[in-house]
Amino acid sequence: MNRRILAPVVGILAFLGLWEVLVRVNDVRPFILRAPSRIARYLVDNAADYASAALVTASHALGGLLIALVVALAVGSLMAASSFFEYATQPVLILLQVTPFVAYIGSVVLWLGSGTPPVLFITGLVCMPAFAFATVDGMRSADPATRELLASVDASRVEVLWRLRLPSALPSLFTAARYNVGLALIAAYLVEGGNFANEGLGNIGRRAAALNEGDALWAAIFAMALLGTIFLVLISVLQRVVLRWHVSQRPPRSGRG
Amino acid sequence: MSRIVVRDLTKVYGELPVVDSLTLDIEPGSFVSIIGPSGCGKTTLLRIVAGLEPATSGEVLLDDASPAEARSRKRVAMVPQAPGLLPWRTVQANARLLLDVNRSANPTEADDPDRLLHEVGLGDFLQAYPHELSGGMQQRVALVRALALHAPLVVMDEPFAALDEITRAEMRLMLTRLVDGRGATVLFITHSISEAVALSDRVLVSSSRPSRMVADIAIDLPRPRTAEVDDDPHFVELCAQVRHALHGGRA
Repeated sequence: MNRRILAPVVGILAFLGLWEVLVRVNDVRPFILRAPSRIARYLVDNAADYASAALVTASHALGGLLIALVVALAVGSLMAASSFFEYATQPVLILLQVTPFVAYIGSVVLWLGSGTPPVLFITGLVCMPAFAFATVDGMRSADPATRELLASVDASRVEVLWRLRLPSALPSLFTAARYNVGLALIAAYLVEGGNFANEGLGNIGRRAAALNEGDALWAAIFAMALLGTIFLVLISVLQRVVLRWHVSQRPPRSGRG
Repeated sequence: MSRIVVRDLTKVYGELPVVDSLTLDIEPGSFVSIIGPSGCGKTTLLRIVAGLEPATSGEVLLDDASPAEARSRKRVAMVPQAPGLLPWRTVQANARLLLDVNRSANPTEADDPDRLLHEVGLGDFLQAYPHELSGGMQQRVALVRALALHAPLVVMDEPFAALDEITRAEMRLMLTRLVDGRGATVLFITHSISEAVALSDRVLVSSSRPSRMVADIAIDLPRPRTAEVDDDPHFVELCAQVRHALHGGRA
């Protein structure tokens, strides 16, 4: 098997194995920590419920990421074009990043109603700053020789943006996407929980916590971890296709050159 | 082919004069090199001619048009010092880059970039990415990218400076072959005396900053220039002339 696939599988199995052994050997009581085998069994027994909930959460996270990306490309392009706009926007972006969004979930739900809108709004909001910073950095990294060359044939701003600046931002956008995947899933989960629509893993998790159903809660957490892994794999695949020209995607050279 | 007329051109950065009341008249269709010490303002002159920078005073005309007009009509093709290839574009797509922007100004008789790539020996590399090419091959793509514009003026800013001696000699021959009979006026900036003499119809020798032309040497070597031109006694003589001018007339 390919090392890229084998190694992570080994890592996860080793982690779960250690967890299982520690719980069994020390005879940890289930309300403190459950054995992974028990959580997995619960998850499999209720696979249909969890699968449909995971699908909802995945679409919420994906939707939020896409909204964040689109807004960030616009904001980031403006920041790269105007340093005044950049300095004016930076503190606001930082503010968005550091504010514990759990605190205002209730307000947003009151404002936008229950269901999908508040989930997408908050997920998009918290993922936007990282994408915006990545856009600015990436666009700034565009090769000055090429910029001058495009200027020498009077290329328009839009052409420079499309042909040079946006593609230059792709590597840093992918880095930001890896970071944002976790954030998007957690935001989606928490807003689903603070929502009155009964859907998504966040909703299962909140009810399980309220009713002290440990198995159900841990199964939701495992389902989230699975979603995160799938998202990361998809991003890696996309990155390999889109960035096949980039240094990061080239096989390491052997020492003999 | 463009006639380049420069009258009383001065460029000052803050307090620093970079070009000082320079006057030039460059024949249409000629190959003119400017050689001079590092930092003498050659690149600034080239950027002003290409319309990338305004002059402080004086005038530059390319066939009676201002550099800015010529630039917006894509009548100036530039070969920068670094190839500046886009890493996500194939060789073929990179060669087309300048034709892909500001399309409304494209010439009616643009050269086919693919044919030019074959001509410079990159026919087997159309689908390759820049990182798969050597430095010389990358600079050949940059050359094709400029020539595909079919612009009447080609400006080159030390395009071979980063290449090794052997590749440089090859590039020199390739450039002669490509430019001969194409009819474009070429303004070529270099640090290499032999390169300037081997390629040009005229070599202008610049003083150190601020740039003034201290010598204007006609190169009357026969064309087409081949690799053997280096052995021509007249070539050696002309090189010596340029070298003396460069070092302020000292023998």
